[in-house]
Amino acid sequence: MLLEIEKCQVCAICYSSCPAKAIDIIYYDMHSLTRYLENAKEEYKSDSLAIMCKGSAPDFQDVGKLFGVSKFIPLSVPCVGRIPPELLLKAVSLLGMKNIYVLACDEDYCRFERGSAITGRRVTALNVFLEELGYARELIKLKRNSLKVKADRSKCITCGNCVFYCPYDAAKLEQGAASFDLELCRGCGLCVTLCPAFALDLEHWEQERISTLISESPKEKGKASILVLRCQWSVFPGLDEEFDSNVRVIDGPCAGRVDPLHIVEALQNGMDGIMIAACPQEDCRSKTGSKEAQRSITALKKTLSQIGLEERLHFCSVAPRYPEAFREELNQFKVRIENACSEEARQ
Amino acid sequence: MIITAQKPLDEILDFLSPYDSILIAGCDGCTQPPRGLREAKTLVQLLELGGKLRGKNLNLRATTLPKQCDSYLTLTALQSQIQGIQAILSLACGLGVQTITQVLPDCPAFPSQNTLFMGSEIREDNTLEERCAACGDCMLAITGGICPVARCAKSLLNGPCGGSQHGKCEIDPGKDCAWDLIIKRLERLGRLAALQEIRTPRNFGQVVRPGKITE
Repeated sequence: MLLEIEKCQVCAICYSSCPAKAIDIIYYDMHSLTRYLENAKEEYKSDSLAIMCKGSAPDFQDVGKLFGVSKFIPLSVPCVGRIPPELLLKAVSLLGMKNIYVLACDEDYCRFERGSAITGRRVTALNVFLEELGYARELIKLKRNSLKVKADRSKCITCGNCVFYCPYDAAKLEQGAASFDLELCRGCGLCVTLCPAFALDLEHWEQERISTLISESPKEKGKASILVLRCQWSVFPGLDEEFDSNVRVIDGPCAGRVDPLHIVEALQNGMDGIMIAACPQEDCRSKTGSKEAQRSITALKKTLSQIGLEERLHFCSVAPRYPEAFREELNQFKVRIENACSEEARQ
Repeated sequence: MIITAQKPLDEILDFLSPYDSILIAGCDGCTQPPRGLREAKTLVQLLELGGKLRGKNLNLRATTLPKQCDSYLTLTALQSQIQGIQAILSLACGLGVQTITQVLPDCPAFPSQNTLFMGSEIREDNTLEERCAACGDCMLAITGGICPVARCAKSLLNGPCGGSQHGKCEIDPGKDCAWDLIIKRLERLGRLAALQEIRTPRNFGQVVRPGKITE
């Protein structure tokens, strides 16, 4: 087998499907997943496991609501297609899980094309198998969820940005305001970022919610504070991802949802450096999101240069296939900002 | 629509320096790129940041108006928002600033934009291009729907001139020669013969600047 790393999207469907277990993967490998579940079982004191694709919801509130449960062990992964069926069996047989909830994206919206569909077939087969072994019926419950744009037509100023920029042709101007075909919307949020009138918002990635997350970023006196706005598909964080106390990372649905207004808000709130991590344009899961993000960040940098702050903003492209790339970018940026801040303090 | 470009932040901060409480008013009308509430809020943050760096705390508020070139809409929208406001910074074109000046004679109004031209938005190329000069004597009917007054650097009515090179203008080779476009377009429509007639200078009396009509 030959792996062309440049083409690999690290969906890990090959890894979770290989019957010979000939493929391993550094993110969410069997060993790390098992260890995570063992530790989480202690921590959460629950016999329910909820596995969620990051694309279907940004946090676990939805999982709770959709399945009507409040206590569970959370496991958030970029595409549930990467979860090997063996892990689910292990969770039931060795860890004694009584319920497994799986929240996947709608099949058509899977960012890895087949991840959600494959998971559907696996869950059906596993449930039959588990029932034959005497476990409860439908022990693994699967639901699908996709985030969509919300349009407030009364605020629309008919500028047409959403119609032109939507990568999925979901927007049109109808009877004097933007309207959306939600079947086509994939929740990338690009239109929300480009709407001049705040007439659009994205489920769970609302303007206000992101502003609140940013305003809650830690600020320590005498220490440079860094905010990273990152596309959730550009970096696959390890299960034990940790950052220095002065670094705040907020994952978004696509770099296209990175809003210049949020960036200036963050600077104005006292963050010292803002880093944007996007996918390389050719890997963008929302077609043009990464490209448009780069364009708007470049424009903002130009404006910030008028008040001498352009170095405080950094845009970089990183891909999960090169797991060190993000950390390297972050470390370099952090050093740069820390130096700039101590330079400032000296003056 | 009216195409504007934001002034350098330093210039804005300079002319706002005598004031502390400022209302930043976007315009939901025709300005391109759109200068609505998002732009107003962004400018609030940028100016507050810039102010801080100059050691000044500015008290800025963002709003947006439906159409700043409409005296009635502008007055009614602003009236309730100007308590305690010392100055208004407009994100609209020059019309917006002057409408505010007219309806609120005691409140200084400033432009945050340089108003550039009346332009078309060519989305596919990501450009905004001047295509109409508001000359008051429209000749698009004869020139195949392409305006030589706005799009020819010399506003020639009988072109092209000798500076047309491979379809580009000698003044700026990055721009198309309008007359080259006109000829190709008329050829395509089979109406090239229309150019045999020599056009006399246009009627400058159609609009005596400043233009004014009564509706």
